[in-house]
Amino acid sequence: MRSLPRHVDSFKYLNPASTTITKALIRKAPRVPVPWAPLRWPLHEATVSLVSTAGISVKDDPPFDAEGERRNPWWGDPSYRVIPRTATEAGISVSHLHIETAYIYDDLDVALPLRRLVELEAEGLIGRSAPSHYSFMGYLLDPTEFLDVSVPAIIEQMRRESVDLAVFVPV
Amino acid sequence: MIPDLTAAWGAPRVAAIEFPFGRPLGQPHDVVTQRAVLRATLGALRDIGSPGAVVHLPFEWPEPPDRVHWHPKEPSPIVQLLGRDPSSFTRLVEGGLPPEASRRE
Repeated sequence: MRSLPRHVDSFKYLNPASTTITKALIRKAPRVPVPWAPLRWPLHEATVSLVSTAGISVKDDPPFDAEGERRNPWWGDPSYRVIPRTATEAGISVSHLHIETAYIYDDLDVALPLRRLVELEAEGLIGRSAPSHYSFMGYLLDPTEFLDVSVPAIIEQMRRESVDLAVFVPV
Repeated sequence: MIPDLTAAWGAPRVAAIEFPFGRPLGQPHDVVTQRAVLRATLGALRDIGSPGAVVHLPFEWPEPPDRVHWHPKEPSPIVQLLGRDPSSFTRLVEGGLPPEASRRE
């Protein structure tokens, strides 16, 4: 794969209708100060956790409620799932109804790069991959319940596991 | 994936990449690209020094856009609804979500 200097086009893969909707969402963003927390340690000492919007669950847990979204297209499941650092495509479900999920079932690292993160841990680029990583459903037109219930629970578990850097990986 | 949206909604640090939806790290089994993307992302997050800054990662997807397949086989429920009821589109753009956006049915 080639590497070139570039300015990323946010709308390259969106059709005109989706582009219009996305630009409306951008216009609706509140004008508030951006939160900021400096890294407390150098990256090679930091504990890193990944957060995927792909609606991934491990097979011991219930999958996200895709049937609820089919019944009510305005609604998205506001819950979250914990994904252990050892998870692979063999032990997951992907409930996202807005993307082709076959690639993730083929290789989880295309969306949740757990093996790549462990490799960077072995290499010494990061301190360690956290014991727990997270996923939620990226399609949430009303994120109120997600922000009020799921996000605080994710933050609490990250704090228990001394996470220094959360990498949010949208799909 | 849509860095303009991610940045507008207040992400403290953004590493932007122009890869298709569903594969932000690269193609399945392309370990070299996946590792390079994650390494570049972590480097950007380490180096960004001001709130809301966006770093544009220098990766190019190997397929032309008209060859990229990222949509689900079955259109998503909201896309199906937009096809049946064009007034839903106006609602989405103008931001007036119906009450059912907030409740499981």
